[in-house]
Amino acid sequence: MTSKERVKEAMALNTADRVPLMCQLSLGHYFLFSNVNPLDIWYSSDDFAEALLRMRDRYSFDGILINLPGREPNYQKLIKNIDKKDDEAVISWKGGGYTVFPKDDNPHYYQEDGSRYFPSFDEIDPDKLFYVEPWDITDIKYPYSWGFEKEPRPSDDFFPDYHFDTIKKVIEAAGNKFSIHSEVFSPWSQFLELLNYEFALMAILDDPVKAKACLERLTEGAIDLAKKQAALGVDAVLISSAFAGAGLISRDHYKEFVLPYEKMIVQEVQKEFNIPVYTHTCGSIGDRLDLMMETGANGIDTLDPPPLGTVDLEEAKKQLQGKVFIKGNIDPVNTLLNGTKDIISKDVLWRIEVGKPNGGYILSSACSVAPYTPQENIELLSHLVEQYGGY
Amino acid sequence: MIETLLKELSLAVIDGKQNESISLTNKLFEAGLPAKDILDKGLLPGMEVVGVRFRDNIIFVPQVLISARAMKTSLAILEPLLSKSDAKGVGTIVIGTVKGDVHDIGKNIVAMMLRSSGFTVIDLGIDTKVEKFMETVKKENADIVGMSALLTTTMGYMKVVIDKLKDEGFDVKTMVGGAPISKSFADQIGADGYAKNASDAVKLAKDLISIKA
Repeated sequence: MTSKERVKEAMALNTADRVPLMCQLSLGHYFLFSNVNPLDIWYSSDDFAEALLRMRDRYSFDGILINLPGREPNYQKLIKNIDKKDDEAVISWKGGGYTVFPKDDNPHYYQEDGSRYFPSFDEIDPDKLFYVEPWDITDIKYPYSWGFEKEPRPSDDFFPDYHFDTIKKVIEAAGNKFSIHSEVFSPWSQFLELLNYEFALMAILDDPVKAKACLERLTEGAIDLAKKQAALGVDAVLISSAFAGAGLISRDHYKEFVLPYEKMIVQEVQKEFNIPVYTHTCGSIGDRLDLMMETGANGIDTLDPPPLGTVDLEEAKKQLQGKVFIKGNIDPVNTLLNGTKDIISKDVLWRIEVGKPNGGYILSSACSVAPYTPQENIELLSHLVEQYGGY
Repeated sequence: MIETLLKELSLAVIDGKQNESISLTNKLFEAGLPAKDILDKGLLPGMEVVGVRFRDNIIFVPQVLISARAMKTSLAILEPLLSKSDAKGVGTIVIGTVKGDVHDIGKNIVAMMLRSSGFTVIDLGIDTKVEKFMETVKKENADIVGMSALLTTTMGYMKVVIDKLKDEGFDVKTMVGGAPISKSFADQIGADGYAKNASDAVKLAKDLISIKA
């Protein structure tokens, strides 16, 4: 059985030869350990694909999540100069502004005056929204344009061809063997990123009608992107909805501002493509697994355990068994980053024991594997799942 | 009448009604109530209720944010009228998200809750370097430094700040928080305290102030 088939069976709620293993690595981990130049990982589709493939090989994961958009080729031509320091690089752009690029974490773009740009809720016209890509090379813009492009693209031709280059490259290199997953940002995540979190959270109380109009438009963009990714042959689409947990919003607000829009994405993708769509929310989601299932998603990702989150895997397994697949639950900080070999083994074996019965479980870190997580800690996962994850 | 207006002001803060909060603050001031009383008997009791409801998961971050916004706009009216000793409150805290980290929502909520509990809060924002912490502690004669981090890559910088403050002989307590932070991590880096959430942060800050005194 190939890795691709193994993950497919788990996502279809079946058993395979063993529990599959597939973690999402932080970008910082790729920067530190893939031996690919971090700037190239962030700014080059081909090099990010290379880093994804190398680290999959290194850790024997059964799948790859492509969690950055493809980039405009030859990014070097956009750069005015790079000031390299010990722990970061500062990239000045010919098009204006600069990017602070830490050696171990995601970079951020700053305007020439040193500030980060976010529009106000008042100035947003929902009709001018379509999709917001928080990891574009120039971060947030409104109306949204890509990189240093001056004009927004029309919604019927919104995503540049290069946006899909990493997916194409990874599928070409490994799509027949491994499960390749793409990512779209949920409308809720896009809305929060667009307004810089706090202002978005207040906006849903100040003017819920307008907030929903924004979310509807952002849903259209997410659907368009997810369908384009699916058409390329990915094995699953992940909806990244990091900020929809109880650490930020109530169940009622989840029902009102998250659930209906994610449901639309799931429905629209599934109308045309026979692939799973699953949702990823960080932190405290133990109180809303039922609502996450109501989105119609085929799977739920992360399931952060205490103290990072509130999910007890045994309870979640009972609640979700036979309905959606489960991916995650290994504490990325207290277990994988800071744990000893004994702690990691104990935590992981318990999860295999709980998650494995009757299938539908993918062994994974809850949220992303932290940048400085020792490589031997991650390598241990494949040894454990090989030894104890069999059916 | 004054009592009724104060209750209405508390309710306006609890409900996050910014315009009502401004209007009631002005009415109370016009009625001759000292700014300190408007703060202590109207605004702060309102935010205290918000803090309790947030702690008990009755309300969530959006509601806290609009309440804090209402409180802040009223406070802006009162601040020029508060005497220096009134404005000093129960203690001064310099707070910031540490260098390399741009995530500030948790830190902002903690800052709001501390302000609402009578602390003077100097918020240094995101990506705060050790030099900025030290410079501000010195300038404001602060009692506590509060540090926040969301990223596992930036949490280590908290130790840099704590070590430097100690090395330079600052008489200041340190408290830390953020998603990946734990009590054991706080102990390991020599912080004086760790708070899991905003309500705990207020309690911890009060405890640290009493220890310091």
